[in-house]
Order: sequence, then C-alpha cells, then structure tokens
Amino acid sequence: MCVDDELLNTYLDGELQEPWRTQVQEHLGYCNACRQRLEQLRALHQKVADAVLPDSEISARQDRVLQYFEKTRFSSSNKKMHIFRKKIQVRLVPALITSAAAFVVVFIGAFVLFGNSSQQGQEILPGVASQIDSAHIQQVTEVQQPSLDMFSLEQIVQHLDAMGYAVKLEVKAVTPLE
Amino acid sequence: MEIQSNDERAFRQVYEQVFPILMRVVYHVTNNQDLAEEICQEAFIRFFDKGMEFATLNDAKYWLIRVSKNLAINQVKRKAREMNMVDKLKKYPATGANHSDGSQVLMEKETRKLVQEAIDQLPEKFRLVIVMKEYTDMDYKQIAQVLHISESNVKVRVYRARKMLESILSQE
Repeated sequence: MCVDDELLNTYLDGELQEPWRTQVQEHLGYCNACRQRLEQLRALHQKVADAVLPDSEISARQDRVLQYFEKTRFSSSNKKMHIFRKKIQVRLVPALITSAAAFVVVFIGAFVLFGNSSQQGQEILPGVASQIDSAHIQQVTEVQQPSLDMFSLEQIVQHLDAMGYAVKLEVKAVTPLE
Repeated sequence: MEIQSNDERAFRQVYEQVFPILMRVVYHVTNNQDLAEEICQEAFIRFFDKGMEFATLNDAKYWLIRVSKNLAINQVKRKAREMNMVDKLKKYPATGANHSDGSQVLMEKETRKLVQEAIDQLPEKFRLVIVMKEYTDMDYKQIAQVLHISESNVKVRVYRARKMLESILSQE
C-alpha cells in the first residue's frame, strides 16, 4: 500500500518519527509513484518558501522601529535629562516659590509700615537725584570668600607643603595645553 | 538566561533576533508590509511596557509571535469586512495577471506575488500554520506551543494548507 500525502508531508518536514520514517524510506526505495509525489510536494514547499519576504525589505523597517524605541523607551539617552528635570522639580521649584513669597511679604510689609509717612519713606528710600555727588559715592567691591579657585595649583601645593603634608600629584585624563 | 522585557540590553537582544521573524509572519498573514511594520512595533511596545520576565529567549519569541499574530488576524478580519462592504456595492474586478516577457527578477516577483495571493485565500487557521512552517525556523512542536494547539493538529493543518495551496496555484 502506498504512502498518503499527509504522511509524505510530515516526512518532507523531517517530523516523521520512527518506525514510520524507516518504513516510508523503504517504500520510497521501490515505489516510483510515491517518489514522484514526494518530489511534487517538495517543489511546492520550495515554491512557497521562496516567496519569503527578503531581508533587504526588512532591515530598513527594523532600524526604523528600533529608533522609535531609542527615542521613546530607552533610558540611556534620556536618563541625564530625567534626573536634571527631577532636581529642578524637587529642589529648585519649592525654593524659588519660598523666596518669591518671602520677597512679596517683605515688600508688602514695608509699604504697610512705612508707605503712609513720606517722612519715614524719605529716610528709608532717600531721593537719589538731589543728593548724588562725589561725597556720597563709595566704591563697593564684591566681598569674595576665599576659595580654591583663587589659588594656583603651585600655591596650594606650597601651602600644603608648608603645613607639613606630603603631597603626591598624579595626572589623570588631562590633556596638557599646547 | 532570564529575560526582563523592559531591560534595554535584553530588549535589544530579543529585538534583533525576533523582529525579522515577526515581520515575516505578520507580512505573510496580512500581505501588507506597512501594516506588518506597525503591528510588529505595537507588539514590541507591549512587550517592553509590560515589563515581563521570560525564562528563555524562545519564550519571549513565542509571546511576541502570539501577540502579533492576534493583531494581524484582527486586521485581516477588519479588512475582510471592509472588502465585503465594497463587494456589495461593486463587483470586484477580476485582475488578469499581466504576464510580461521580462527578466528573471520579474518572474520571481510574479511568482512571489502569486504564492502570497494563494496564501491570502487560505482560511485563517491554515494560513497561520503554513506561514509559521514555511517562513520561520519553528518545528511542529514549537508552532503547537505558540498557537496552543496539539502537535498532531499542526501536522494536519500543514498537510491541508499545502493541499489547498497546490490546488490554488495549479489554477493560476
């Protein structure tokens, strides 16, 4: 008895288990009709498989969709921005609101207390136009807190040396100026 | 190796390997490359956003194929409904194949088109199985796992799908 199409298809796909596989193989060895039918099925399978969407038509789409994920989902590019925004939201915004509110309170308070009395007002806010002359002008310099930026590396090292510290300098990831 | 779907590195690994398979499955089911791209993107968005854990890469792959084939089938059904509406108003014109005496490339393109049109005509359950069999590297067992059907069911559907394809293609 010949092998039916279902069995031949399973055999073609390499999915036929033993002992049927060997039996089909033996049968194909002497049955021309079944061999021909197997070849027909193989040709059909090949024809269908050859119609596959080629890689060349997939790669551009694959890149495009990946870019979408890089823009919208992956954190590596957005992480810094995210933390920065968070800092502004969490730390800076309440601080700004508080200082603005304090400023407004001080202003309103000043006007409530001194706004009615022009005498007092003049004492607090002296008229500038009439009193401006060299006697009233004073040079005001910005008071600077000493910081490390104000000293050269040499000075710092000398200072530390003077204080008895043994200082060892290492150059790490620094490009010398030309 | 465990896979966390919303971990960038794991995602990239799955994406690189599975996207082409997904694209092929969806394209051959829908016969529309742009739609297939949209569906693949949607499947991967769900994959990432759900933040799931998969024991193996194959598990992640099966999940993605399952989701995208469901999306694809829904689209095909919608398209079929729309086509039926159009058919009621206007008889669908028979498209006589315009055989040109062109090059080998043209012949191949024409054959590809004919095969894809034949696949389009298969009922959904046969189409899905034959597409997975012919256009992915999955065996009967794996296809059964993805579709939640038995292995012998896969075997029967492959056989019947090929029988139908043979019949359709022999009429061309």
